[in-house]
Amino acid sequence: MDSVSPPLLVKWEIPSPEIIQAGVILTDLDSALRQFPQMIEEYLFQTGTPEGFPKFVALHQALWKQGLFCYVPDGVRVELPLRASTQIVSGAGAVFPHTLIVVGQGAEVTLIDERYSQGNGSSDAVVSDEMVEIFLKPGANLRYVHPQQWAPSVTELFTQRVLLDRDAQFFNVMVTLGGRLTKGNVETVLSGTGCRSELLGILFGSGSQHFDFHTLQDHQAKATFSDLLYKSALKDTAKAIYTGLIRIRKEAQKSDAYQANRNLLLSQGAQADSIPILEIEADDVRCTHGVAVGPIDPEQEFYLMSRGLPSTEAQRLIVEGFFEQVFKRIPLDSLREQLMAEVTNRLSSVHPSTSSG
Amino acid sequence: MSVPLLEIKDLHVQVEGKEILKGISLRVEKGQVHALMGPNGSGKSTLSNTLMGHPKYQVTQGQILYRGENLAGLKTDARARAGIFLAFQYPTSIPGVSVANFLRTAMKARFGEAFQPKEFRKTFKAAMAELGIDEGFATRYVNDGFSGGEKKRHEILQMKLLKPELAILDETDSGLDIDALRTVAEGINHLRGPELGILLITHYQRILNYVQPEAVHVLINGQIIRSGGKDLAHELEAKGYAPYEVLKEPPKEIVSK
Ligand SMILES: Nc1ncnc2c1ncn2[C@@H]1O[C@H](COP(=O)(O)OP(=O)(O)OP(=O)(O)O)[C@@H](O)[C@H]1O
Ligand SMILES: [Mg+2]
Repeated sequence: MDSVSPPLLVKWEIPSPEIIQAGVILTDLDSALRQFPQMIEEYLFQTGTPEGFPKFVALHQALWKQGLFCYVPDGVRVELPLRASTQIVSGAGAVFPHTLIVVGQGAEVTLIDERYSQGNGSSDAVVSDEMVEIFLKPGANLRYVHPQQWAPSVTELFTQRVLLDRDAQFFNVMVTLGGRLTKGNVETVLSGTGCRSELLGILFGSGSQHFDFHTLQDHQAKATFSDLLYKSALKDTAKAIYTGLIRIRKEAQKSDAYQANRNLLLSQGAQADSIPILEIEADDVRCTHGVAVGPIDPEQEFYLMSRGLPSTEAQRLIVEGFFEQVFKRIPLDSLREQLMAEVTNRLSSVHPSTSSG
Repeated sequence: MSVPLLEIKDLHVQVEGKEILKGISLRVEKGQVHALMGPNGSGKSTLSNTLMGHPKYQVTQGQILYRGENLAGLKTDARARAGIFLAFQYPTSIPGVSVANFLRTAMKARFGEAFQPKEFRKTFKAAMAELGIDEGFATRYVNDGFSGGEKKRHEILQMKLLKPELAILDETDSGLDIDALRTVAEGINHLRGPELGILLITHYQRILNYVQPEAVHVLINGQIIRSGGKDLAHELEAKGYAPYEVLKEPPKEIVSK
């Protein structure tokens, strides 16, 4: 593939110098490759082959360029959230950013890793084929928040693969607001005894936005725990397809796996499909999944309107409430408020239902 | 003569194609409390939902005048902003929306420019204290997991803050223990005044001991078959509705004053 790349800007922020002194590395992947080549070599593309979207993954492996590297040494606990962002500057073409996160034994960190386009109105057609790889060593604890606000002209192919060792904990919030089409694949491999993961997702779609999300909760070891909740609200002719696979292998006795996908349809033309798949090979496990698709409850709207709120205001409050369960878990007030405001903004903006093609 | 606060004239209402209210006439003046009693399924909540403009309830005949103005073209939110308030029999829960956020938004809608955001916390806290509501309530989600009594207190809290001119209280006294009943009744009495008219829907005359009504009406099978003074409530409690169920034809006209 002969591609022109629009400039991609990778930025990061370390809130205090002590964090660097403790041996934490947060830098762009190119610099990391120069400074810590052995370390990158040890981890890059070592989370195993993702099961979903193999073509996009192969393309990414061949063409990956730029990205972020985050490393927290054994036993280091970082209290303040680390922040990074990947921004598309301008121009049309394809980008292939790669994010590599390694959290050492008993280490703990929060990383907020944003995606957005500069000059959000940009209509340059961009394809982003990206991959996030995460290694959690025994007892490691990572909170990874990934808010995506690409410009409406961006097509997003996204793969995240997380490998959890013994007693590791992974908390993930995926917020997907931008782009015209997102094909997302979030794979969590629970390979160490007693590891836990909590996977939260929010999608908001308007205009003719289209989301195709796959998740995998792969329980490979004993007494592992995973809890997934993905919520989407869709207006205009936006569409979301969710496919969620829970796999509990024979070796993963005494494991718990939960999965819920809830969809709020805000317009007649909006659409959501949800496909849960269970592959349970162990017999002593707890596993549930739930799906809901439906419009705003007219009784809720009536209740709010009976207190003087116009219909649009009532709907805004209901949608905010719908997302609150996930938003309240975002560990940074300013970010939570910014994202909530962005949802409200998208909720009230009127889309000319066009397909830019 | 001044214009009555609420005047219902020969109101017929359908729900999903079925006629529930079959010609109701009722007049509530400013400052008055009218009690509406009637057996389960007689149409009391249908009347309250209709007054509030619920889209499922279709007025097929007759009209509702509020301060002389026909409500027919007015949506629910506009009715609320005009001063009509319904305390729901079964308040809906809205997960994820905190009581404080909800009430702030509602007060802003009701009072517009006059709403003072800086005063909100104080007003809100004072109102909660008067109704014996715990402060922790503010951060709970609207009606979500509330006990029956908490839901009813929450309705009265809203009434207090939104200062309606016409309040419809749909079985606000049901499911309350004696202390809660007294608090709620005191809350209502506290709001009584020359400007507020109340339509108080109840199954029990007990609340009428606290909140003295000007008139009591009996609704059976979608029609008001009798109106009278406070004594009527005692009579109903003693004899039940059975003596009235046989009355096929309602009295021609009921003027309550
Ligand atoms: N939204 C609705 N959908 C379908 N039927 C309804 C609806 N609302 C009311 N009804 C019907 O109308 C009739 C009157 O109901 P309503 O709730 O008004 O009675 P009520 O007098 O308030 O009774 P209760 O004392 O039990 O509260 C009932 O038969 C009820 O099933
Ligand atoms: Mg009722």
